Amino acid sequence: MTTTESTLSEERLLEVSDLEKHFPIKQGFLKKEVGQILAVDGVNFHINEGETLGLVGESGCGKTTTARCILRAVDPTNGQILFRTREDEVVDIARLKGAELKKIRSEIQMIFQDPFSSLNPRMTLLDTIGEPLLLNNIGSKDDREQRVAELLEMVGLRPEYMRRFPHAFSGGQRQRIGIARALALNPKLVVADEPVSALDVSVQAQVLNLMADLQEELGLTYLFVAHDLSVVKHISDRVAVMYVGKLVEMAPTDDLFSTPKHPYTAALLSAVPEPDPRTKSERIILQGEVANPADPPSGCYFHPRCSYATEQCKSETPVLQEITDGHYVSCHRAEELILDGVLAE
Amino acid sequence: MMSSDQPILEVKNLETHFPLDEGTVVAVNGASFEVMPGKTLGIVGESGCGKSVAARSIMRILDKPGEIVGGEILFRRNMGEDSEEVVDIASMNTNSAEIKSIRGGEIAYVFQEPMTSFSPVHTIGNQIIETIRLHQDISKEGAREVAIHALNAVGIPLADRRLNDYSFQLSGGLRQRAMIAMTLVSNPTILIADEPTTALDVTNQAQLLELMSELQSDNGMAIVLITHDLGVIAEMADHVSVMYLGEVVESAPVDDIFHNPQHPYTKALLKSIPKIRSNSSERLASISGTVPHPYDRPKGCAFGPRCDFFMPGRCDASIPALQEVGPVHQVSCFLYDEGD
Repeated sequence: MTTTESTLSEERLLEVSDLEKHFPIKQGFLKKEVGQILAVDGVNFHINEGETLGLVGESGCGKTTTARCILRAVDPTNGQILFRTREDEVVDIARLKGAELKKIRSEIQMIFQDPFSSLNPRMTLLDTIGEPLLLNNIGSKDDREQRVAELLEMVGLRPEYMRRFPHAFSGGQRQRIGIARALALNPKLVVADEPVSALDVSVQAQVLNLMADLQEELGLTYLFVAHDLSVVKHISDRVAVMYVGKLVEMAPTDDLFSTPKHPYTAALLSAVPEPDPRTKSERIILQGEVANPADPPSGCYFHPRCSYATEQCKSETPVLQEITDGHYVSCHRAEELILDGVLAE
Repeated sequence: MMSSDQPILEVKNLETHFPLDEGTVVAVNGASFEVMPGKTLGIVGESGCGKSVAARSIMRILDKPGEIVGGEILFRRNMGEDSEEVVDIASMNTNSAEIKSIRGGEIAYVFQEPMTSFSPVHTIGNQIIETIRLHQDISKEGAREVAIHALNAVGIPLADRRLNDYSFQLSGGLRQRAMIAMTLVSNPTILIADEPTTALDVTNQAQLLELMSELQSDNGMAIVLITHDLGVIAEMADHVSVMYLGEVVESAPVDDIFHNPQHPYTKALLKSIPKIRSNSSERLASISGTVPHPYDRPKGCAFGPRCDFFMPGRCDASIPALQEVGPVHQVSCFLYDEGD
């Protein structure tokens, strides 16, 4: 096993450092590389055992690519992803190959966004949920059936349904099937990429409650990738905010929402329409568009849209630093700015 | 000028059906709502509740084989010189000259997905100019000026150059702005926006909602805002109609919907959404079950099987009618029946 020298402090399950993923832009007949999209551009964060880290940002900010790097669905360009395995070994996921990688895959599982396209319409629930077991040669046929029944019950579906096909189920039920499949191998870390954004509001609550129950029951750790800040606030212990491939802020949930330190986080929070006509908050309307990750601005990537930007912001790239206990920000002016958050009622 | 205390658009008992081989899908089942001039009506509901079909019925742009089988859509047309005329859109031929002059003219429509609602093989400019010349007798150069003006009005930078762009060259936010610009050129009295911000990020959504409010106060148009997002409704709407399975179950001023909801569905829906200002550790109150398939809609009240206040023998026997429970506040639920 390629146990790296790097250490992982006791309570941490995963630590991502300087993660980068660049996609080449190819053009012409010879597919000449003409540039690179810096989808993930030096990201640092950690997840503690048993907690939920919410990863938020707008489309194109690299949150999904970050999640896919952790799953090794894509190979990171640079950086380290330390992970504590079941045997309490620390491995660097970014560098694993072959059999070692396959072994780790059973410990990190994914819940997908779209419950309609992520399930194979030609496979019964038994096949879909039992497939991870089959691939890892776990148990006999009867054992697998029993495990699938157990999993279905765990996610609130009737075990009798296991011979049915996905088309017979609604969006919310399909998402439960996806969750059951993700849990089949008893993973330690579950990466959920927008798990409720395709669901109706009345069903969204059911799935969020289910995920919270399962976490408590099985001691799961979640990386919850989403764009809906209300949902993220509800489910996360800590929240990390991304903007154009970089992490701009990370803090415990209540801290981040009540006292954001990065101007982008503050703008993002103020943009969320509150479902109450009596609290029309002061909006920070950001000017312009999200920067192009193939040609990011100089200095701080947010400076062209930031109303607090100074000359320093245009030339120097800020680094992520811990300014108060557990509150990380990458902004030159983090110490002096006092920004409005959303206060709990 | 039109009197402002009379609705500009009145939808009465609208029924829209989709006869398919497997059976008839009753997409809109006797929905009624009113649009007041210069105000915003929010129509909120989950997927499959018929909110988009109701809006498309008003425009008469239903996908085949959808058809309006009952009800009226009364539109108060301003004929200039203080004269008005009330026409029933529901009874018009979908290809008549009359509906064509209303569609895209007096009533404009903003689609959810701006990527698919613009043609990818024509420039944005050509598409806007075509719209202008369909409704106004104006030269190409004149129409181009109007188009540039409209793009400027919605805050698109370098409007004269953007006219030559194709829709795929614009970002999602800009594309939706261009869509709104296209609807504005004909000075609509009603703008129907069907999930206008669903495909956008929150910061773009905030920009677009602000733009729509500004345009409304400048032009005085009425907006019908269709969305599943209660936050957007709270922000924008003056009056709200809540739909469930093709029916309007509650209709009230926006403040009443959020602070004095009456229908069990509205109450449950409000409790089930996570709020950014609430205590994060609270468990969400979820609504059991799922929205039924329109083929097998439950007997009686459509929400009955998921309702906490279900009364056997009553709720599953007949469909409750929309009734007044307060000034301009209507609910369709047997809990509020006079007879009790």
